[in-house]
Amino acid sequence: MSSRSENFRRVLGRVIQQDFVGRATELNRIIAQAESAKAGRGLLLLMEPSAGVSELLRQAYDQIFNRRSDVIPIYFAFTRNETTAVSAAIEFLNTFLQQYIAYRRDEPVVSEAPLTLHDLVELAPAPDLEWIEQLVESYNRLRFSNDDKTLVRFCLGAPQRIPAVRGRPFVMLDGSQLAEYLNGAVVLGTEILRVFARGGFSFVLAGLRRQILEAAHDANCNFELLDLLRLEQLEATEAGKLVEHVARRQQVATSEAARDLIVQQFAGSPFFINTYLLAAREKHATLLSYLDCERLYVDELFGGHIHRHFADLLEEISPRLDTRHLLIRLLWEAAAGEEQISSFEIWRKRLHISAPELEDLLHRLHVQEFVNWDETTVEAGSGPQAWKDYLKIRYRLDVLGEPRALVVADMLADSLKRAPHTMARHYKQIANAGLRELISRFNCQQVPAVLFDYAKFSEKYKGAEAETIVSGLGAETEAFKLPQTIHLATCSAFISDMRQICEEEHCLVAHTFEGATYSDAQEVIWLAADVESKLEVDVAVARAWCDRFESLAERLGFSRYQIWLISNQGFTEEASTLLARRKALGSSRQQLELLASRVRETVHSAVVETSGPDEFMMVVPMGEDNELIAANTAEQIAKRLTFRPEAINQIKTAIVEACINASEHSFSPDRKIYQRFRVESDRLVITISSRGIVPPNLNGAKSGAEVQEASEERRGWGLKLIRTLMDEVEFERVDDGTSLRMTKYLRPQKGTSANE
Amino acid sequence: MDTPSGGLVRSHCVGTTAVVYASDYLNKLTGEKIEHECRRQLKCGCRALIIDFSDTKLVNSIGISILLGIIDVAEKSGARIVFSEVNNQTVQLFEMLGLTRHVVLAKDEREALINLSRFEATTPVVH
Repeated sequence: MSSRSENFRRVLGRVIQQDFVGRATELNRIIAQAESAKAGRGLLLLMEPSAGVSELLRQAYDQIFNRRSDVIPIYFAFTRNETTAVSAAIEFLNTFLQQYIAYRRDEPVVSEAPLTLHDLVELAPAPDLEWIEQLVESYNRLRFSNDDKTLVRFCLGAPQRIPAVRGRPFVMLDGSQLAEYLNGAVVLGTEILRVFARGGFSFVLAGLRRQILEAAHDANCNFELLDLLRLEQLEATEAGKLVEHVARRQQVATSEAARDLIVQQFAGSPFFINTYLLAAREKHATLLSYLDCERLYVDELFGGHIHRHFADLLEEISPRLDTRHLLIRLLWEAAAGEEQISSFEIWRKRLHISAPELEDLLHRLHVQEFVNWDETTVEAGSGPQAWKDYLKIRYRLDVLGEPRALVVADMLADSLKRAPHTMARHYKQIANAGLRELISRFNCQQVPAVLFDYAKFSEKYKGAEAETIVSGLGAETEAFKLPQTIHLATCSAFISDMRQICEEEHCLVAHTFEGATYSDAQEVIWLAADVESKLEVDVAVARAWCDRFESLAERLGFSRYQIWLISNQGFTEEASTLLARRKALGSSRQQLELLASRVRETVHSAVVETSGPDEFMMVVPMGEDNELIAANTAEQIAKRLTFRPEAINQIKTAIVEACINASEHSFSPDRKIYQRFRVESDRLVITISSRGIVPPNLNGAKSGAEVQEASEERRGWGLKLIRTLMDEVEFERVDDGTSLRMTKYLRPQKGTSANE
Repeated sequence: MDTPSGGLVRSHCVGTTAVVYASDYLNKLTGEKIEHECRRQLKCGCRALIIDFSDTKLVNSIGISILLGIIDVAEKSGARIVFSEVNNQTVQLFEMLGLTRHVVLAKDEREALINLSRFEATTPVVH
């Protein structure tokens, strides 16, 4: 361990630095917000419910504290213990002073000691005594003024009073505990943002994403001065590490299988994982088998920390017991799949409450993401699995009045039965992530067409060695240009009936545009299914899938669509004929993998392209014959590649024409031409880009007649010349402006080894 | 003797033939200067034009379109036009854009003048 780590002092963090896993990127981002470059900017940390934020902020606090720079870290968490905005604001003032003094005195222990304002004045370092005394005096005067709003603003604005020479405050507010619902006339969340956004100091405000964004809008925040960071659940690998670390810390024995189940059952939620493992330690439980895990889980739902978490939330959302029971019924019925979408009026009737009461209740449910409410309709049935299980238990116990022992036994049995399915779904998701990832990467790449035609592929390559296939594919002349995927979702996200037919991730709908041209004519919906079959898929199954997709396309109003079926072993001859007749594509697993490697290569090379060592970039202003600068640069580069003089002149002319096109047609806002020259062993690739609008006849997709018309206009000659002078010319679609890529190959001359 | 006209275009007359020199880069600006000079020479009574490209290394499509305009103007004035000392790359561009269908190319200024004198000798003068 380095000496730096040895000197690191834990101040507010609940775990040591090394045990804090899974949020490295977010931690660095928060700390970066404290840097002077971000001075005066706020960071809204938008948290998915139960994603956990408190330890992240405490860790950030500790890191900044240990740096001993001019940045003074302040961390304050609103808790449910505070009953009013005034009491929360006073608590903030107290915490602020305490942490300021702890930092100034370099005494971590001061930050959490039970100290009064009087104690803090006594502890204030001499250079700070005057302003702290003034602050406390002003506070004492305002405290009894009966002007709550002024008092709240005064307390929250306290960090502004730090003299500039004494450092810059960096305030981190942990609002994950619903500060918005404190009683009283002052809406705290909005007030915080009003004061902080105008305070001139950097801050982080963390809380539930729906709540924080709403508060920012209500406070009329200037979003140009706010940065956003989204905090979601951990992905499986990181969540697995978290389980291992926490279990080790809590001295809970776990197995790999149990670890993975915990991760899946809590969907990677740091809050639930920590809470659950804490319960395991308290109960001296080992978590080695599924039974161990589910026993503890059910215990937690019936009377543990998880139970208390949901019970508190429900009580906050619906304080009246009778309404709460009705609400549990409504929510459970939705979670069980009945009436997931209903109107506001139906909810009001079923809960027997007034419209304003229901609005308040729905707002709270919406913030917690237990429902989606858009003022008129309510979509229930969402929330984590633990929430749904909790609702089921409450429903059976409170609404149906069933015996507790029966409900416990059923819940344990159900959880155990569900566990292998949970894991199976996870494993299938991993296996199918390939298809999802592949389609999401479609971005106008050219691939051998044979990869989408199982019959042809089988005829050419069945039984061939991998190397033979790869070299064969490299020599394929018939290419298939992939579209650009702009949206990808499972079929069941569009039509829930599809869940009964196949696993969610097996059946995908991708909205794409051919050639990345965003027009009706180029929009194509890809309907892809990974058909489970140990043998070649037969004609009946292929037909059923084609029919299913055609019907789906009709129901959803997809006018242009492309069916693509994938099967492990491909398709029988009859099935392939049917697919061809129905203009559907068919690939085996092998073809899919070959396609994936080609698409990955393209993505990879695109990354290399921007950072490659043999690449030159140049930006020149439009006009003033600046195209000559570009042409002369290209000449120097081309000479290094030993292009012959004639070819160099052709390249120069093509560049000049491309620059003229960019200048004349782009309506460019910055009047700049961006040039990239990439040197490869056998070619020079030049990309000329400009921002702005490009007339449709320059996008490279014009018809033959249009080309003819254009060439008749003398000013339309540029593109014609470029196409003649260069070996490959392609317009790359970019969102703003155009990008023309031109390639010139080195060709050996007769009697010479290279291109002279 | 060379005559500097409006811009920096060099030109001189040999009898009723004007020789106009194109610069190293033929683009919109330099093309328009040549056009201006050719029009001026035609107005002054020249019956033939030679545009000399001996200095020209690079030509763009706008420059070529202006040359076509000059050919049009010359035709309408009943004047002959010859391009001299055009390098191979530029000839290639002229061919691509069909310019060589409308103009005679000569190896150098001398050959251009000979070419024009032959033409004048074989063309009857109409009074």
